[in-house]
Amino acid sequence: MSNTASRQSHRLSGGLVDRNAPLDFTFNGSHYQGFEGDTVASALVANGVKLVGRSFKYHRPRGILTAGSEEPNALLTIGRGAYAEPNTRATVAELYNGLAASSQNHRGPLGFDFMAVNDFFSPFLSAGFYYKTFMWPRAFWEKVYEPLIRKSAGLGALSGEPDPSTYDKGFLHCDVLVIGAGPAGLMAAKTAALSGARVILADEDFRLGGRLNSETYEIDGMPGSEWAQSIVQELSEMDNVRVMPRTTVYGSYDHGIYGALERARDHLSDQGDKPRQILWRIYSKRAILCAGAIERPIAFGDNDRPGIMMAGAVRSYVNRWGAAPGKRVAIFTSNDDGWRTAADLSAKGIEVAAVIDPRTGNAPYQIPNTQIFMGDAVAGTYGRKGITQIALASGREIPVDCLAVSGGWSPNLQLTCHQRGRPAWREDIAAFVPDQGIPVGMSVAGAANGELSLKSALTEGLNKANAALKDLGMKTAPQAAPKSDDEKIAATPFFYVKESKARAWVDQQNDVTVKDVKLAHQEGFRSVEHLKRYTTLGMATDQGKTANVVGLAIMANARGQSIPETGTTIFRPPYTPVPIGALAGRARGKDFRPYRLTPSHSWAEEQGATFVEVGMWMRAQYFPKPGDKSWRDTVNREVETTRNSVGICDVTTLGKIDIQGRDAAEFLNRVYINGFAKLAVGKTRYGMMLREDGIAMDDGTTARLGETHYVMTTTTANAGPVFRHLEFCRQCLWPDLDVHLISTTDGWAQFAVAGPNSRKLLQKVVDTDTDLSNEGFPFMACSEITVCGGTPGRLFRISFSGELAYEIAVPARYGDALIRALIKAGEEFGVTPYGTEALGVMRIEKGHAAGAELPGTTTAQNLGMGGMISKKKDCIGNTLSERPDLNRDDGLRLVGFRPVDRSQHLKAGWHFLSKGSPCDMAHDEGWMTSVAFSPSLDHSIGLGFITRGSDRMGEIVRAVSPATNVDIEVEIVSPHFIDPEGERLRV
Amino acid sequence: MIIDHPLLGPRDSAEFVYLGDACLIERPDWQDENALDAFHDYLYLRDNPAGEHRELWFHEQGDRSWLVVTRNTLTHEITKVELARDVARALGRSK
Amino acid sequence: MSDTALYPTPALGGYRADKDGIVVEELTRLAVVSIATPLDGDKALDAAMQKSFGTTPPAPGKVTISKDGKTRFLGMAPGQIFAVFNHDRPDAEKRLAETLSGSAYTTDQTDVWVALRVGGESVVAVLERICPLDLHPDAFPADRCARTVMEHMAAIVLRDGEDGFVLLTARSSARSFLHAVEVSVENVL
Repeated sequence: MSNTASRQSHRLSGGLVDRNAPLDFTFNGSHYQGFEGDTVASALVANGVKLVGRSFKYHRPRGILTAGSEEPNALLTIGRGAYAEPNTRATVAELYNGLAASSQNHRGPLGFDFMAVNDFFSPFLSAGFYYKTFMWPRAFWEKVYEPLIRKSAGLGALSGEPDPSTYDKGFLHCDVLVIGAGPAGLMAAKTAALSGARVILADEDFRLGGRLNSETYEIDGMPGSEWAQSIVQELSEMDNVRVMPRTTVYGSYDHGIYGALERARDHLSDQGDKPRQILWRIYSKRAILCAGAIERPIAFGDNDRPGIMMAGAVRSYVNRWGAAPGKRVAIFTSNDDGWRTAADLSAKGIEVAAVIDPRTGNAPYQIPNTQIFMGDAVAGTYGRKGITQIALASGREIPVDCLAVSGGWSPNLQLTCHQRGRPAWREDIAAFVPDQGIPVGMSVAGAANGELSLKSALTEGLNKANAALKDLGMKTAPQAAPKSDDEKIAATPFFYVKESKARAWVDQQNDVTVKDVKLAHQEGFRSVEHLKRYTTLGMATDQGKTANVVGLAIMANARGQSIPETGTTIFRPPYTPVPIGALAGRARGKDFRPYRLTPSHSWAEEQGATFVEVGMWMRAQYFPKPGDKSWRDTVNREVETTRNSVGICDVTTLGKIDIQGRDAAEFLNRVYINGFAKLAVGKTRYGMMLREDGIAMDDGTTARLGETHYVMTTTTANAGPVFRHLEFCRQCLWPDLDVHLISTTDGWAQFAVAGPNSRKLLQKVVDTDTDLSNEGFPFMACSEITVCGGTPGRLFRISFSGELAYEIAVPARYGDALIRALIKAGEEFGVTPYGTEALGVMRIEKGHAAGAELPGTTTAQNLGMGGMISKKKDCIGNTLSERPDLNRDDGLRLVGFRPVDRSQHLKAGWHFLSKGSPCDMAHDEGWMTSVAFSPSLDHSIGLGFITRGSDRMGEIVRAVSPATNVDIEVEIVSPHFIDPEGERLRV
Repeated sequence: MIIDHPLLGPRDSAEFVYLGDACLIERPDWQDENALDAFHDYLYLRDNPAGEHRELWFHEQGDRSWLVVTRNTLTHEITKVELARDVARALGRSK
Repeated sequence: MSDTALYPTPALGGYRADKDGIVVEELTRLAVVSIATPLDGDKALDAAMQKSFGTTPPAPGKVTISKDGKTRFLGMAPGQIFAVFNHDRPDAEKRLAETLSGSAYTTDQTDVWVALRVGGESVVAVLERICPLDLHPDAFPADRCARTVMEHMAAIVLRDGEDGFVLLTARSSARSFLHAVEVSVENVL
């Protein structure tokens, strides 16, 4: 292997590459040189490299088959280290300086693959071999067969490291989206653009023009590629046009939405810190699909050798890239178009050894110094790592180093099928064309629509654009299609050379042969969808772009049916592979989702708080102090300080909904099970909400601030769903109630100030015109107040902890200042901030229900609040809450639990069994919902649901967890572990 | 999908939250003799049509309107979008 | 009673950044008050707004501006508009309620939202990375506003000049929102 760039042995003159910009690259460690404008494939061709990979199953030597995104064989790993990306099609990978490419799926060097032994075992590896061979012994599947298969079959491997590239997403809008920038697409885009429509022109190639760059056509008297550049230039300068090269429209979705992947920086040696790829969601009013056509191969014996290439691809390499795939070329074509390859090669001075056409009659083109074989076919080939000779059905053998094959062109109609569109067969071009079920708003022009000649493509691009503009009510600019060639396109259906003796490949990416298709038929897998799954025909990265029609034709023949009768498999997005990284976009690591921060967040960070994610919120979990041995020490201290003196907790995350209107009271009455009609101004009430099926939805307090003004609080988790539910009630159920809702969750910084010293603390902060005495501001009072000398605020005397407690709120912008003021004011009482852990401990000690008790399966009755349901009024859920099964005497009740052995620690999720009951579901009596270590009681406590719980106080039952071998005795007690009479909160 | 909001024009369905059959607007009267049965049917019995379907969508990331969207479940074609409040009123719902 | 007055903290600390002509700036003085029209109270509100502001309540998705140019009214929903104006003190809602003299239900939304102004020649290219709405001047002219979602976060968008937008986003997630805007600027410029 040489370390210096080797001569480009197969480079010709001409082509659309920049010879002043040489680029160095490596393939399997060897150094090569190409030019700017090359793909990795064209640079390999220019360097005479033919063997580029090993096949999926049999590890057969394979070369480059195509010059586009339909490539089944030339899949390389490109890039180094963590940047390496496997399964990159060399035919679309743009060459850059320093590019490192390597071949895949071989053990040992590419030229001598140890796994090529598979090829000799091929009789055992035919279609369905997994299902047949690895049936038994059963235990072998997971341990032996599957690892072996995974190791030997397959494509490239991931680096195993995190992807260092970044990706982005975005949204684009247009009147007309033109997909594909070949002659039809350029004509359509230009027509739409001139009318003033907002146009997006997207093409997967880095050089727009489609086949115009690969052919020797002339348009308006200039070479086709130059004409294309002039149109692209013109479009690029228009404000209403966005030209998007390197952008694959990979999916068509409902209502004119298209998915597109822009490979923004894959072609640069240094991507910098900008996104490598951008996933666009394109909203279009109309779309014109001008995706061209894909040439299909013909199946014949050993038709997969390196050096066998599609005829159109050979023209691409010669004309566009000035790279000769061979020096002595034969052409095997069943249509007129394949003959153009012979003509173009001949014009470039490349020896055309033979043209073989299975059709009888006269040759459509005159090719000098070439043997013409009409009515003949290629039946076999020779050459271990690259073709050296072909054998015709007539028996003649011809030495060649390249064979160009054309079985005709299939319109590239994938996107027309993404919404279950079904193509129709057109006999004259022997191909499927778009037909019924094309996505609404899409039209198809040019070769993608079966209009295979240049002239018809240009005309149809123009006409379809005008039709779209007319549809949109936009003026159409009068213009005619430019003058162009109108080449011969006659084709005859011809898919398979019957005289072949060796294996004839249909799907080179999946190693599916003609014999496999016939075997599938023989074994009953005759539907095209079964054929695909059984043989893997049309799977993997190329999705059978070159293989499908040939496979169908062979199946149709076996079934004795026509191709249209046999049908096609359905195409689904994506058209070409989309990296998972692009689908993830920015949503990685800490950017996976947004964070919501409380107003005291910065302050809590300063205190060294530990945070916990609660939905999107980051809440302080606890505030460790030096000397705390564990988090439980910290939490115990926070609870004890609060219960003995005063503690402060940020409760901003609770949902707050501002409710106003003449009928607000009536509205609340209908959404809460308990009465709200008579709640006085300046008072707060606890409320429980049901779903219409009688199951508890949410609870919280609602304060009446004025005659027509209420503020509802919801649990943190349900703020959104409750708002949605209330809007449903307001708009859909009672549209004429005067009631108005708006969320103010983020608007108020709200702190619970709890503990016997909470009043004293607040008296230092709340302005003196508010009487905070027990008489002046009793339990469940609420008021608008001012704090710290005039800042407006709200005060609620409510308690989640069971202590004398308040919640004080100020506009969020003052939240940071207020927490500092509260803590300062509390210094003399030894105030503690407390987090969600202490909050949880205290509410469990008090027996308050929270999320674990409201999982969407429990009723008010279960929660011991059945009596709250007013029978005198309508409210959401009251009727169905009366269902007999929800009101059984042996229903679940929320009660407290303590371990009989007080040193034991309870766990949520344990189930309850009566003493002596077998441990099975039939004897299950309930489950533990919440547990805590109670510093107040100095032992573990729990809340849970158990049948007839409220009637079983003092009973000893078992708490079990069969999965973790737990079976302990617990006592049923009141859920109110602390201050059951509620005296503390009323002082 | 695109939902053509009657007030705001076409908006991506990603801005909306789906609820279900628009018959949820027709909440029974709690004082009906057969209220329990009526509520049972209202809440649990649904048609599942292959074709045109009237359904409730909430414009959560928009104007917070509940909409009644007539959508073909086979093609996703949306033929009508109404404010649910208007639909409710037309059905005689008031206070 | 406390000896120290409370000082407001802007959610983003008064953020301002200028990168290659794109200026991202927190508008710390912007007050937002929601105005809900009482059922059957449209005429009374129309009259009150005409009297006090010389303009009419906007339809959902539309913007009207007071005669003195100081207050923008955004049509947020049927029967709900936002008044947006510069006001430093925390009594924006009270002031507006007085002005409208009982013709509407008002709720202070100033602290619910954080306002970011994003401006510069390539502002649309920056915002198209996160904003699903069509911000082309023909599709989103000066009198349009919209509430939508960007990077999972609610956002209200209004045009502010030829190449500027004001984005209102929830205060609690404002840092994540700013991050999303910053990344967009980084990725585009």
